[in-house]
Amino acid sequence: MIDLQEMILEKDRLIPLLRKLKKESRLIAPVTNKHGDTLLSEINNIDRDTIDLDRQPQNSLKSFFLPQQEILAHYSVDTTGYNFTAPEAAKETIYFGVRSCDLTALLYMDLIFSKPAKDASYYDRRNRSVIITLGCNDPFANCFCEATNSGPYLDYGYDLQFIDLGSSYYVAAGRRKGADLLNKWDYFFRTVEEEDQKIRYQLFLEARGRFNRNIQVSHACHKLQEEEVAETIWEKLAGRCYDCGGCAYVCPTCTCFSVDDMAIDDSHGTRIRSWDACTSSGFTRMAGNHNPTDRTRHALKQRFLHKLKYDYQKHGKASCTGCGRCVDICFGGVDITTFIEMFTRDAS
Amino acid sequence: MNTNFIPATAVIREIIRENDTISTFRLELINKRVPFSFRSGQFCMLSVPHCGEAAISISSAPNALPLFDLSIRNAGELTNAMHQMKAGEQVGIRGPFGTPFPMADFANSDMLFVAGGIGLAPLKSVIDHCLFQSGLEADAVANITLLYGSRSPSEVAFTTAISSWKEQGIDCRLTVDAGDDSWHANVGLVTELLQKELITKNTKSLICGPPVMIRFVIARLTEMGCASHDIFTTLERHMKCGMGTCGHCHLDGKLVCVDGPVFSLEQLQTMDVMELGT
Ligand SMILES: Cc1cc2nc3c(=O)[nH]c(=O)nc-3n(C[C@H](O)[C@H](O)[C@H](O)COP(=O)(O)OP(=O)(O)OC[C@H]3O[C@@H](n4cnc5c(N)ncnc54)[C@H](O)[C@@H]3O)c2cc1C
Ligand code: SF4
Ligand code: FES
Repeated sequence: MIDLQEMILEKDRLIPLLRKLKKESRLIAPVTNKHGDTLLSEINNIDRDTIDLDRQPQNSLKSFFLPQQEILAHYSVDTTGYNFTAPEAAKETIYFGVRSCDLTALLYMDLIFSKPAKDASYYDRRNRSVIITLGCNDPFANCFCEATNSGPYLDYGYDLQFIDLGSSYYVAAGRRKGADLLNKWDYFFRTVEEEDQKIRYQLFLEARGRFNRNIQVSHACHKLQEEEVAETIWEKLAGRCYDCGGCAYVCPTCTCFSVDDMAIDDSHGTRIRSWDACTSSGFTRMAGNHNPTDRTRHALKQRFLHKLKYDYQKHGKASCTGCGRCVDICFGGVDITTFIEMFTRDAS
Repeated sequence: MNTNFIPATAVIREIIRENDTISTFRLELINKRVPFSFRSGQFCMLSVPHCGEAAISISSAPNALPLFDLSIRNAGELTNAMHQMKAGEQVGIRGPFGTPFPMADFANSDMLFVAGGIGLAPLKSVIDHCLFQSGLEADAVANITLLYGSRSPSEVAFTTAISSWKEQGIDCRLTVDAGDDSWHANVGLVTELLQKELITKNTKSLICGPPVMIRFVIARLTEMGCASHDIFTTLERHMKCGMGTCGHCHLDGKLVCVDGPVFSLEQLQTMDVMELGT
């Protein structure tokens, strides 16, 4: 057990603290790029990069732990035989300004990549990471993390959680590495006063009242345990899915992947892992064009049942974190909220 | 088990040509990190240089270790490259993966194997294992019958194994979809060989072959009164990892690579499975 610690960081001390952290390891935070988009990205220059803590980063943590493409191994085929070597080790990295939903998704990935054995590449990165989250005081337009139990604030899982109190941050350590950071840099912080706790609680209540969307996630999960989804629902959804894979790419809990070998020359190559999507037509296709999935009717069935039915059965919790990204990206309008609304309203 | 995608290296010790498109590759691991053992019904991920990986069942019985067999049908890029390889060359192996057949439950049973084409590969491991155990009173099965269907006489595979099984007292019945002058055994679908007298209260049926074959054999066995917990099959799905993370082999909430590939009909009946036509 770690001794939970809570401290206050005045806002003018944030950049000095991050500057220290960046000296010790790679630092990732939400940064606005030259196009005006905010993405979790590496801080190169703490004084010049614009850290944006007001908008939702368009990407989640996923690509940092399961890169869109990564080398799993190098291989060579020569007179000494057919040999594989492991990829380079990951770098120590601190993630700052991670939203509650995205940390929840990372905890889900921890589970997926630990069974039946720990995935070496994933855990190499995970073990060298420190996650500092930022609770959401003002949920974004499409968010519904309250309905998925993954925000707006978190109770556990983070190394440090920041809550914006206006002129300062309320900082809590949830894991050993977070507590160590607080201890090491204690001169940046001051102790928590009763007034800080009151403000924090008030902000929490207000944040919970600010969700635009009321998505019946747990109702859908329960109903899926009892009932089949009407074929007409699957067909309607499939009819408007254009096989772009956007939902699976932006989704922090879509972790399906493909593995392929790429030759560099006759005697060398790399084994590459890349993101894949269960919504795509090739996902289940076998040699001789056999396909156990009928995409024209069931393009989205696995995606939604996996998150809301199977994961609920296995882990007691849906694996949608309510981040709302698929709502933003799906131009066919067949994101997970559409499904939940169709299914929970369906009387049959 | 490997926690990453780095295979152990295996040398091809021998290649047995089974027919025009199927060969059995007898392998031996040379740099395994942990002792290699497996049970009948499990599969490996086979790496062939520059071609990636494919899931292949182990077709020999565990007692033949350190040698083990992969019987491979030339079906595409990787399997074709494998067919170009020669004895002495090296391939990569990860595994074994998946659930095996419940061999302990087969003691004293009348074993009925129904296979089509390359589908005999995983069942061959079980048959060889049953024969290996036949001296051990407690674990031995009572009887073994094999019904094996091929498209044509030239496509009949595993003929060496089948003649050896016949010599050891196994009732092997072969059929082809279309015969020719050289063919003296049955002509017709493998389901036509499924006659009442083959079934006892003690029959355990193990099926492997193309999806339509699996469906019709299961229907016929059920019609003849076989219970769903006495019927087993092994399913094929697109697989990329073999260890339950890539998601490709999904099957109604299960993953074929870890929850299967061996399933009893009793398990399959609770799921939405293409092979059962549901
Ligand atoms: C559990 C299991 C056991 C198997 N046992 C055997 C066996 O003993 N003997 C045998 O000959 N074949 C077996 N197969 C089938 C074998 O895996 C495929 O024939 C092989 O992957 C085809 O690869 P290819 O590159 O030659 O074909 P291509 O058509 O060129 O490539 C097929 C593509 O689909 C992917 N793929 C993934 N899984 C499969 C699959 N199951 N079937 C087809 N393609 C797949 C491949 O990675 C590749 O990208 C088994 C499959 C499974 C799932
Ligand atoms: S399904 Fe949509 S809302 Fe849920 S976690 Fe994935 S992207 Fe976010
Ligand atoms: S093959 Fe990857 S999950 Fe089954």
